[in-house]
Amino acid sequence: MNLSEAGESRIRGYLFMLESSLRAFMKRELADDAVREVESHIRDRVGETEPMPNERDALNRLLEEIGSPHRLARAYSAEIAVDEAVASGRVGSIARALVAVARNTAEGFAAALGLLLGYLVSIAFLLIAIMKPIFPDNVGVRWRNGEFAGAGWELWLEPGTVVTHGWWLALVSLVVGALLLRATHRGARRYLRRVSARRQARARITGSDTSR
Amino acid sequence: MTTDNDSWIEQLRRGGLELAILLAVAPGPRYGLEIIRHLQEFTDLVVTEGTIYPILGRLSRDGLLQAEWQAAAAHPRKYYKLTAAGRRRLKVMVEDWRAFARKIDRLVQAAGKEAANESL
Repeated sequence: MNLSEAGESRIRGYLFMLESSLRAFMKRELADDAVREVESHIRDRVGETEPMPNERDALNRLLEEIGSPHRLARAYSAEIAVDEAVASGRVGSIARALVAVARNTAEGFAAALGLLLGYLVSIAFLLIAIMKPIFPDNVGVRWRNGEFAGAGWELWLEPGTVVTHGWWLALVSLVVGALLLRATHRGARRYLRRVSARRQARARITGSDTSR
Repeated sequence: MTTDNDSWIEQLRRGGLELAILLAVAPGPRYGLEIIRHLQEFTDLVVTEGTIYPILGRLSRDGLLQAEWQAAAAHPRKYYKLTAAGRRRLKVMVEDWRAFARKIDRLVQAAGKEAANESL
């Protein structure tokens, strides 16, 4: 069928939503290429479709068969984001892959949540170390009226608070934060490698892979 | 029971999909919709767009397929063809597939014979 302006607008809207969803986890050029390919596919299918009972219904039926843009993007995310993260090991790629995995399975959600917690805690430790040279009097072990009142970095100290062992705490935080960040990052890569291997095993008849 | 069988068939189909896609482009370059139609014509593999395009992308990234945009009469299409690595991989996969099928066949025949002997 030859599309009217309304039909063209419907397809543009579908592709726009697909592009927005893909950009959340894919590089721009990969997302653009994927959208271009899906557009080509839709145009082929439109060419084969009769406008029965009318163009709007026929187009809606066709797009429903293809699947919603969000669903299509999820299928891409599972394939692309994980592969890219495993190959590059970059923080951004790993974050995108974890988001994609978390959106697909309950196990992925739990793993991503645990890893996110690991990243946040390690960053918090590193922040303590970074803040010590900037706010030398606000980082350390806090004592109020001779009693322990906490440790770490506090911008607004209550009157009567004494801060001690600041540089020691900064050093320990730096070491703990760096080790935890390294362990979390390695854990994330290992988990994504496992996800990738499991997915490839599912798509294969046998376990042999001679291409790597 | 039907659900269990459906699930098993689904696993079989999913397992064979990568091989089926590589076989579809083995004779020459094909674009996505052509591959879907080819699989539907020669097998009962009903492959959706959401399944095939991400897999085609992965096979390309793995270096098994080479993708190329070609200008067609109506609009450009992205054609996929096997690379040398893809052809080698396909050969191994086909051999593995046949070996696996032979082993299962032997099991089926052995089970049939044992069942026949017991019924005597």
